[in-house]
Amino acid sequence: MMVSTRFHLLGCLLAIATATALQAADNLAHESTTGSVRSISVEPRYVELSSSNRQQYLLVSGQMSDGRLIDLSRVARCDVADSKLARVDGHRVVGIANGETRLTISAAGNALELPVRVAGFDRYPPVHFANDIVPLFSRLGCNGGGCHGKATGQNGFKLSVFGFDPVADYGALVKEARGRRVFPAGPERSLVVEKALAEVPHGGGRRMEPGSTEHELLLEWIKQGLPVGNSDAPRPARLYVSPNMRVLRFGGEQQILATVVFSDGAVRDVTAAALYATNAASVAEVNSTGLVGVGHVPGEAAITVNYMGLVAAVQILVPRPSAPDSDPYPSIRANNRIDELVWEKLRNLGIVPSGLADDATFLRRLYLDTLGTLPTSDEVRAFLCNPSESKRSEQIERVLARDEYADFWALKWSDVLLVDRKALGDRGAYELHRWLRQQLAANRPYDAWVRELLTASGNSGGYGPTNLYRVLRTPEELTRAVSQAFLGIRLECAQCHHHPFERWSQDDFYGLAGFFNGLERKPLGAGRDLVFHSGLRDMTIPVFNRVVPTHVLDGRPLTSGDGDPRQRLAQWMTEPGNPWFARLLANRLWKQFFGRGLVDPEDDLRSTNPATNEPLLSYLTQQVVASGFDVKTIMRQMLASRTYQLSSAANATNADDERNFSHYYVRRLPAEVLLDAICDATGAPEAFVGSPPGTRAIELWDNRLPSYFLEIFGRPQRNSPCECGRSSEPTMSQALHLMNAPEIERKISDPSGRVARLVQSGADPSAIVEELCLVAIGRAPAERERQVAEELFAGGSNQDAAEDFLWALLNSYDFLFTH
Amino acid sequence: MSNACGRFSRRGVLRLGSVGGLSLAEALRWQQATAAETPAAAKKDVNCIFIFLLGGMPHQDLWDLKPDAPAEIRGDFQPISTAVPGLQVSDCLPGVAQVTDKLAILRGMTHTDSDHGRGFHIMMTGVQATGPGDFNGNKNNNQHPSLGSMVSRAGGTKSSLPPYISVPNFIDSGGPSFLGASHAPFVIESDPASPEFSVRDITLPADVTDQRSRRRQAALRHINDFEKRVSEASKQVQSLDTFYEKAYRLMVSQEAKEAFDIHREPATVRERYGNTSLGQCCLLARRLVEAGCRFVTIENGHWDTHRKNTESLRQLLVPAFDRALPALLVDLAQSGLLDSTLVVVSTEFGRTPRINELAGRDHWPGAFSVCLAGAGLKTGQAVGATDKHAAYVTDRPTTPADLAATILSVLGIDPQTTLYTPLGRPVPLVNGGKTIHEVI
Repeated sequence: MMVSTRFHLLGCLLAIATATALQAADNLAHESTTGSVRSISVEPRYVELSSSNRQQYLLVSGQMSDGRLIDLSRVARCDVADSKLARVDGHRVVGIANGETRLTISAAGNALELPVRVAGFDRYPPVHFANDIVPLFSRLGCNGGGCHGKATGQNGFKLSVFGFDPVADYGALVKEARGRRVFPAGPERSLVVEKALAEVPHGGGRRMEPGSTEHELLLEWIKQGLPVGNSDAPRPARLYVSPNMRVLRFGGEQQILATVVFSDGAVRDVTAAALYATNAASVAEVNSTGLVGVGHVPGEAAITVNYMGLVAAVQILVPRPSAPDSDPYPSIRANNRIDELVWEKLRNLGIVPSGLADDATFLRRLYLDTLGTLPTSDEVRAFLCNPSESKRSEQIERVLARDEYADFWALKWSDVLLVDRKALGDRGAYELHRWLRQQLAANRPYDAWVRELLTASGNSGGYGPTNLYRVLRTPEELTRAVSQAFLGIRLECAQCHHHPFERWSQDDFYGLAGFFNGLERKPLGAGRDLVFHSGLRDMTIPVFNRVVPTHVLDGRPLTSGDGDPRQRLAQWMTEPGNPWFARLLANRLWKQFFGRGLVDPEDDLRSTNPATNEPLLSYLTQQVVASGFDVKTIMRQMLASRTYQLSSAANATNADDERNFSHYYVRRLPAEVLLDAICDATGAPEAFVGSPPGTRAIELWDNRLPSYFLEIFGRPQRNSPCECGRSSEPTMSQALHLMNAPEIERKISDPSGRVARLVQSGADPSAIVEELCLVAIGRAPAERERQVAEELFAGGSNQDAAEDFLWALLNSYDFLFTH
Repeated sequence: MSNACGRFSRRGVLRLGSVGGLSLAEALRWQQATAAETPAAAKKDVNCIFIFLLGGMPHQDLWDLKPDAPAEIRGDFQPISTAVPGLQVSDCLPGVAQVTDKLAILRGMTHTDSDHGRGFHIMMTGVQATGPGDFNGNKNNNQHPSLGSMVSRAGGTKSSLPPYISVPNFIDSGGPSFLGASHAPFVIESDPASPEFSVRDITLPADVTDQRSRRRQAALRHINDFEKRVSEASKQVQSLDTFYEKAYRLMVSQEAKEAFDIHREPATVRERYGNTSLGQCCLLARRLVEAGCRFVTIENGHWDTHRKNTESLRQLLVPAFDRALPALLVDLAQSGLLDSTLVVVSTEFGRTPRINELAGRDHWPGAFSVCLAGAGLKTGQAVGATDKHAAYVTDRPTTPADLAATILSVLGIDPQTTLYTPLGRPVPLVNGGKTIHEVI
């Protein structure tokens, strides 16, 4: 619990006995050593308290001589001219009596004044259940999914989760349990009050303090006779937070000011009533009154502010402490605009990017990230010996033109689009996979193939894309999957309740689901269906039994009942102005090449999950649109950037960076790619049941093909519309399998495998070692591999030594990871 | 608040960040939640042997007989007296009858899922599945973590054995769900009753001698040490490294090798458990918990007696069970392990009161029985009762959530601990279940 203490900065920093005041003093002392406050500003510009329960937080900012803004809210001195009208508690103005006065704010030698007006103080305003009491329950955590908000309630008392159903909540509070939860004759003795104060045993403990504004509000509502409130009462319309972004130093703090504008134009400070959450607690935490505190970890955090379903975010940036003022920031070459935008962010954070990866590392990385395939030893040799200055960009062109490109990306899209043989049958899975592969092989514009997929009708046995509607069989499933796969909007929360971190409601969910209502699947026999849409039919929200007009997100209802409504949906989704479609593609591609989405997870594009580099994501989104959704054009730009070609080895400034792409992020090869890599390195292909000899794992259309290897290395089940089902988590079974599996040992020692061929060719140990290194880890042997090889070849036959050496390579991190 | 910010060192953050599928904040919540109940659980690790009879064990023919019901309901089994006066079981369980003092029979189990897939889910995880119940072949399709995965996530093991082992096969809904692959069971995939029984990948391939393996390991360490130094920042490498270490420890651990090597048991002991899959799995499970595994799931199939119920039970299913369970309980008691080992006999559901035209019984979740033993529980009793046809619970109903809460509590884990899914949704380990106080 924060103790908010008034703190006066009067030249000397007298110790005041609260931790927070000391902290604040330290901050200022620290700031004063690095610059001085040039001017101060305050939000809001005037204070208007319209009734007795209102308060106004003050956000005082100081501009430093170097241009930085710092928070002075908790150190500024605030004096009310007429202390009979209002007082300042910490940096919060509270009314005392009606009237007008002025407030003087002074900090760091600067001062300014604002008008204060207190009105309606003589009465507590009418309490509105949905607008006042429901948000109170949200704020106190009563209606969370872990408490009374869960489907079964908690100990007999159930609230709608996050307060999505105020009518039900009113009933639960006022009518259930024989009315003992609220007691208008003695508000203090109401069970809900006693429980929240923990005056009677409460599993959730004490949720509010006696005498707090929350306590007062709850009592007032009961005193006023449990009003529901006018149905036409103004609703919160927009939420503003200030500041939007701040750069803080270690140990720094920042007050957030949250303001709501109501539908009638009224403005109210909700700083103390909003809910706050951080997405990176190690970097910045936030307390219940919107005060952000930064620890000693550089990085960034998004602070989510939520008030009655309205959400906004504050970005907090914490640079590394030493740079940039002490060390001059080096000048780093940019290959293209991507680099410029990445460097800009890194410079802000005081992080210097790693050096350029060497040619061998680049080549292996390029092959694995783009083709899911290792380069052959000859390809490595040719690339390393190529003297051309522009060989990297030439190689990017060659790689993008290869056949494996379509295999690998069809595999990736099959994960997203749930191409599951179990759900589709052999024919359906084969056809959908084949169709996807064709689109990718032809590099058909992304918007065009998605439009075709979304509007597909016909025989699922001959026309692949119709099978999407056979994997996903209900409007609800389709809504969840399609919105996540193509818009990066996760609507599953909104199916049952208002999305806790987003603005989407059940109306949005069922409005979108309407497009898929009326899809028919007429069996044609032999595991095939005729898929078609029988025309627009609006959906009904189950519990409320309310019909929702079919509409796209943020859009007007569909009026025409003619034809296939999916046409309209596909058109809206793929039009260049759609705020999510191109952005998600850009982010997906970024994730594949850089290891982490600019927004992460890559398919969760909500305002409360901001991009780590918004200018960059906006730029890439524009590029996607400008290229006409030409995926390879975007890939080319990404691959050609210096950012992509950075070494994975960290320097002194960027070892901890996990989200700003200051070095290449090492990652394990995905299941199929790893299996192919083992086959390629050992020269012993895998025999997949039912597939022609030589079939590679990345080419498989059947995600259910029995394979212990693919299973333990995280082949996804394809039951959720993302790549998140693909696990790269390590397990003991994986390590044991790589070390001891007879299947892998047989490949290493295969009489017609690579080791046997090399040894039989009479190659000397150093040639064998070089070839094995080139093929497995994409580079010539380094000193450590040579040493190891020397010992092995000295201790046994060439065959045994080469097998042992290859075994060690296959288990090495150089092999298992992309670097 | 400021203190909280500075509480973790960067190193600590990294370590936590790499654990499981949870974000740092979630890992911390878990840590706090588990820390809170440490004092109570500090005494001794209780491990669990979780026997799951796949298909649906007929409660009325084994545990909850109704001799006064009409013939088409009571079936062909008669109640017999047991070691505990007044506590009766089926005449097909003469072996079990001698150890009922070590059993608590929950006769009031009930839920509403009559599909196998959904039945697995609710009994393996304590949580009802939403959506279709077909989980066959989906190794991690459970929507909620299985009990074994929760145990793996909460405590892990002090020995070199994996904390959660499934023998001989994986059971649907036995996966870790959002806890992540690191908490999936280690699946033996080999039947200890088979003469060729060996555990996949823990021993060296046939052509690789110990000496050669040591050479290989030395070579690998030499190559990797360099890599570990240069990419110290890579969590993925560190995290795989941890599992390589664990795997290597498992491979070279004499203790682990011996635990898996069921052939070390004297023939008389193996004989006592019965030369059946269930018998040898029970024996192997005893060896594994003895060596420090926290949760062993035993998968035993074919209890889905839609036809020829009596014949299947008498000839195929019950004899193996009636031999294995008493042998396990007596063995645990004699070796002093029973107090620190919870034994659970579970199943998806019971079977229909009325015998069908194929002389079988169909799926019936309305009332069924499961058994608990060991771990210092109050045994020698039956909790709950059903009506005259064993169709519905009339006294002390217990749900799968209650059972899950009880199992976790006995294993020292607070069933009310809240987990967060990747979407940020709070999920209690057990939703709404209450520990069955009659047995604790």
